[in-house]
Amino acid sequence: MPLHRNSRKYHKWLMLFIGLQFVVWSVSGTYMVLMDIDYIHGDSLVVEQKKTIAPELVSYSFKQLLAEHPQASKIKLGLMLKQAVYRFNINKKLVTISAKDGQQLSPINEHLATEIAKQNYANKVAVITTVKLITENPPRELSARHLPVWRVEFDDFVSPSFYISANSAQLVTKRHSFWRIFDWMFAFHVMDYVDESPDNKLLRIVSIVAFIASIFGLVLTYYRLAPAQNKRRKRKPRRVKLSQSDPKQTSKAKLGAVNEKT
Amino acid sequence: MKKPNKKSSKLFKLSTIKSLHKWLSLLVFIQLFIWLGTGIFFNWMDHDKASGNHYRQAVVKQDIEHIRLLDPQAVLKATHLPASEITLVQRLGQPYYLLTHDKGLYKHFDSDFSLVDAYTGVTLEIDKTVASALARASYNGTAKVSTVLAVEPPIEDFLKEQNSLWQVNFSDELNTSVYINASSGRLVGHSNEDKRFVDFFFMLHFMDYALFGQDAVGGFNNWQIIFFALLTLLFCLTGLIWTLELLIKGRYKFK
Repeated sequence: MPLHRNSRKYHKWLMLFIGLQFVVWSVSGTYMVLMDIDYIHGDSLVVEQKKTIAPELVSYSFKQLLAEHPQASKIKLGLMLKQAVYRFNINKKLVTISAKDGQQLSPINEHLATEIAKQNYANKVAVITTVKLITENPPRELSARHLPVWRVEFDDFVSPSFYISANSAQLVTKRHSFWRIFDWMFAFHVMDYVDESPDNKLLRIVSIVAFIASIFGLVLTYYRLAPAQNKRRKRKPRRVKLSQSDPKQTSKAKLGAVNEKT
Repeated sequence: MKKPNKKSSKLFKLSTIKSLHKWLSLLVFIQLFIWLGTGIFFNWMDHDKASGNHYRQAVVKQDIEHIRLLDPQAVLKATHLPASEITLVQRLGQPYYLLTHDKGLYKHFDSDFSLVDAYTGVTLEIDKTVASALARASYNGTAKVSTVLAVEPPIEDFLKEQNSLWQVNFSDELNTSVYINASSGRLVGHSNEDKRFVDFFFMLHFMDYALFGQDAVGGFNNWQIIFFALLTLLFCLTGLIWTLELLIKGRYKFK
């Protein structure tokens, strides 16, 4: 049975080189499917806000805003803590101004950022450990488009960090330990070791080799589990021989036997 | 009985691992090939095609005559439902105030909006005609609108969407569907045959099969995949141990 024997040989050799990636795929895949994605996103860390803008909070209108800032786009009237504010884009930069008098409020200071983080955080008794302004070189877990941000860290289970935009005074990202592990797991799953994207060449080569190696494995499964009696009878004596004699010699003898048959 | 051997206890364990590996292979091989095959497909696919945005164009913005804009205080007083946000948006070249009454953490979460004409204060209902015109404005193909349907979640093209949408179908070769949020008039997205093809592969990769009365959810946290992931993990670990054993025993030799 050359197909059987060759399959064993190729399965054995190919798996020596890529078997470890199979383990990586199954470990990272299992982690990702076991972890609820909403939990990973940190949704349960955020308290849902039932906020309403009271009309009396707004004495500065859209009309005045556009008269003063003609370039403003994406204008949004909302709340910042208990204050009504306008947020808009101007020259690709976010700005927050008061909806009372139009005074610019952004970038916000540390105290305000802390208050906003606390307001959004679900666990009201958690203590804030550090507050830091990040203006450049964002950490791996933060997109550069959110800069500048205040990073507010809580002393709580899974070490959550809330990122409050200094310009919009809003929660832009939330991260915690399980997210950080998930991020690494995803990187390992798509073999993001060198390139930065899931369509990297390394993944392509390894997954194709993995596919081929698996086909050889499937052939072995067929020979092992297919209910053909003669196959079994032939295998048993060989196993005994393998365990008793030098494996090198045996395989040579086996090859010889194959040659004779064919 | 196993052959009596000096290393009998160790051999017994290894033989268990080997037979476990063989039997697990029988259980997981189909899904394993699906994972590998779809994985290679994702690596190789055209990511632009997969977005479903072949005929999508940016909606043209018109200048706003800010002198005519209504006072937001008046809008807030006039509304029946309390609002947490007012956004100045454009729908079909006209400015509107988009009032947020209820908003989830993400755009696809259950939300409630209303639209008020920013010049006159008249409420805009997103009906079939408006939805069709909004979809048309985001579409740069030449095909005509074939049907406009009101769809409720679960929506096959956007499984995570929790809001009522208008589905505007175009009679082009890609069967493009454009989705418009029924309360805000926001463009949710485009979908077409290319995207549906890729979505089908994601469904396979995530084992997001509609089985046993459970619907596909567009995600990978389902019990079938958890079960098969654990089996596959065991399968790979037994394979790893086997390989290590072969290495230690010196079975990896060039002849």
